[in-house]
Formats: sequence, structure tokens, C-alpha cells
Amino acid sequence: MTTNAHIEKKRLETPPATIKFKIQRREKEGAQAHWETFELQYRRNLNVISALMEIRKDPVTIEGKQTTPPVWDMSCLEQVCGICTMVIDGKVRQSCSALIDDLLLASNSDTVTLAPMSKFPNVRDLKVDRSKMFDHLKQVEAWIELDGTYDLGPGPHVPNELAQERYAFSRCMTCGCCLEACPQYGDDNYIGPQAIAQARLFNMHPTGKMTAEDRINGLLGDDGITNCGNAQNCIQVCPMSIPLTKAIYETNRDITVNTLFGWLKK
Amino acid sequence: MAVKFSKTFLLRKLHQITGIVPLGMFFFVHMFTNSKAMNGEAAFNKAVKEIHDIPFLLLIEIFGIFVPLIFHSVYGILISAEAKPNALNYGYGRNWFYMLQRATGIFLFFFILFHVLNLRFGLVPYLNMTPVAGNADKAFAIVAGEFQITWVMVVYIFGILATAWHLAYGFFLFAVDWGIVIGEKAQKFTLAAGLGLAALLSFVGINAAFSFVRPCGLMPKFICEETKKPAPSGAAKF
Repeated sequence: MTTNAHIEKKRLETPPATIKFKIQRREKEGAQAHWETFELQYRRNLNVISALMEIRKDPVTIEGKQTTPPVWDMSCLEQVCGICTMVIDGKVRQSCSALIDDLLLASNSDTVTLAPMSKFPNVRDLKVDRSKMFDHLKQVEAWIELDGTYDLGPGPHVPNELAQERYAFSRCMTCGCCLEACPQYGDDNYIGPQAIAQARLFNMHPTGKMTAEDRINGLLGDDGITNCGNAQNCIQVCPMSIPLTKAIYETNRDITVNTLFGWLKK
Repeated sequence: MAVKFSKTFLLRKLHQITGIVPLGMFFFVHMFTNSKAMNGEAAFNKAVKEIHDIPFLLLIEIFGIFVPLIFHSVYGILISAEAKPNALNYGYGRNWFYMLQRATGIFLFFFILFHVLNLRFGLVPYLNMTPVAGNADKAFAIVAGEFQITWVMVVYIFGILATAWHLAYGFFLFAVDWGIVIGEKAQKFTLAAGLGLAALLSFVGINAAFSFVRPCGLMPKFICEETKKPAPSGAAKF
């Protein structure tokens, strides 16, 4: 999927009269999850968020049972903030850019299934707590040391090529798609592609390079980079087309050359 | 700042390297030796005898094969146990390969256990009870006897296919895990080479297996030494 896949909009030629939404519900963290199905009149240009907004106006299930309005997170509505990420028809993606026509065409049915991401604590219904990803950023020190007790001055210029490559990594919006789709991520045993790519982003920066070893250290732990299983789902599901596998393998090379065989320089 | 390697990091790196250096290397040698069966019983038994004559054989067998094999397979199963497979929802090629690497690994754990007990030690009840090790003069006869049994032959063919795939894809995994191959294009080339290697190893291995039940295995007989007629002397070369 490319970042501008939504430009080529597909249209459902013979839409169903109504569409069903099968939504995973959970009252609060730790509560039992269950499924509820809602029915909506089909109309043109629906996306998952506008459908959810429609459902919450009058949350009555298909069996006619009055229920609570579904809870989900949303903010930018243009696939740049990442907060509305959920599992739609079995695949993780942003719900704001998930068009109903596309979903029905892909599944060849009249039902859309919505579930929260499974690799994060489920706060309620479709809302998850993604703070784990920020812990990962802290673990790899994904920032650049600026002025300390004295002015470090302006950073050095970088070649355009490097700036372009770094730009690709800088597009990460911490949405969690890569972690959700990763078959190795979960149970805290792998830090995941998101933090590895951010470590790479800052290790490529001329100022960040000075503390590169600290970031690499954050990736050498029991939950580190070697837990990558190379299933490469991350690069397939990343909505920002970040070259995540390249970040992982570049870091692998860095570790092989400078860390694993670094003692040969001594 | 000094780097700290975690236990997981070192074990994974060891797992990756043992798969290539002792075990992968051994598989090539193994298939080379097996293929000598194409030239008949005498040629194969001679090859087995030559292995018996390798100096430090017992130490090489223990530290070059058994120790890395046990480590690689046991740790590999622990890695597989961590997997949360999702290829049904994310059916991308490399996700299936990820699954397949674990599936072949687990199958190979049992297959290699069976294979080593069956032929190296001759300890599988109701099957061959004579170890090939130490019985070089009977080596061909032992293997040929086993391969007459259809299900044993089928198990071995699956074993060869699984090993060929696991090793060939393992080369790709090693290349990316050690940062030898990085970019998307380089990955594609490496993977294509891996697929080619898997096909080649499968063919060589299966052909060698068939050599024990049919002279020259699956190949036309004229390419094998035993049946090759000496070229008439003085005949034109072209």
C-alpha cells in the first residue's frame, strides 16, 4: 500500500442496501470481550469513522438491543496521526482512510469487521493504550542531544541523499501497525520495527551519531533487534511506506561491524 | 560506553551462525557423499570408508555436528514457540516463508532424530539395526534395504526437501540478520538465489536417495561412471 493509494478511489457499482458492522466490544480493560453487530443504510463515500459516528448516534444492535456507543480514538482524519488504527477485516490500518466501498469490494461481502489492535492493552471497545511504543522510544534514546551546559552550535550540513533517507524514517506516526502485524512482537519479548527505525533515524543524524552506541545498546537487550524473524509484515502494513526492513538490516550491519566485531579494532 | 550483549542476543547470533557454518557446510558434504551412490555400491562404500579415515573423526562428529545440531534445533524450537503466526490475515510471501522456516525446523527436529538413530546408530526398532558408522562395507546395502520400504523413502524425501528449503532460506535469513544484504533489491536477488539453491539441493538430495534403489538415481544412466562405456580410442573428438 502506498501513502496515496486513496487517490485511486474504487466505487461499488451495485452496493448492498445495508451494511453490517461487526464490532468487538469490551467494557473496560480486563473485561470479557464480545461481538456486537450493527446495521447501517449504505450511502456513498462512507469510511469506517463516519460509519462509527453514524452507529454511535443510535447504538442499537441488529437484534434490536440498545447498547452503549462504541468507543474509538480519532484525531486528524487524514492518516497522519495514527491514533485511529484498528484491525479492519483482519488487517491493521487507519480507520479514517478505510473506505467502505474498498472494504466491501475486497471482502466481497456486506460486512465490515472491526477489532482493536491485539498487541496493546485494550482500554475499551476499539481504543487501545499505545504507551508501550513511547517506552520503546525511550529505550533506544530516540532523540538528539541538544545544548548541554554550553552551546553546541548549529549541526553540520547533511548530503541531500542522507536527508531524503532520514525523511522516510521521520514519517513514522507511532500508529502501531508494524507491531500489530509482526508475528514476533508481543509479550514484551521484542522491541519491534518502530523503535529500530527511529534509532536508525537518529543514528544517521550527524549530531545523533555521537551517541549512536547508546541507541544500539537499547537494541542489544533480551527484547532487542535479534528477535526480528524477517516475516517482513511491517513493511507491508506501514501506512507511511517507511523502509522498516532496511532500517533493521542497516542496524544489523552496524551491530555486526561495530559491535560484534568491534573488538577486532582494539 | 561499553556495549552489553544480552543472553538472547548472543544465543540468536550463535543460532544463526551454527545453521550456516557447521550445519550448512555439513549438509553440502553429506549430499556430495550421498551422490557417490550414483556410481554404485563400491563407490559409495569407498566414500563411507574415506569418512571413517578422517583424523579426529569422533571429535569432529561431536563438536562439528552433534553439539551445534542439538543447540540449533533445541534453540530453534524455543524461537518457534515464541511465534504468533498470522499468515492467514497477512498472507504475504515472506510471512509464509517465516511460517515455513519454523514448520520445516520442527519437522526436521523429528526427522533428523529418526535419521540419525536409523542409519548412524541403527537403533530404530523394526527397521535397520546395523549402524552405518563402523560398517563401511555394508553402508550401501543398509541404506538400500531401508529405501526399499516405501514409507521410509517418502519420509526421507520429505526430509531432504525440508532441509534444502530450511538451509537455502536460512542463507537469506543469515544475510539479512548479519547486515550483509540490506536493500529491497538486494533482498530480491538473494531470495531468488536461495530459491535456486533450494531447488538444486532438493534435486541432488532426492537423486542421491533414488541412487540406492536404481543405478544412477533419477539421471539417465550414461552420465554415471559405472555404466559409462570407455570412449573408442582414436575416434574423432567432434
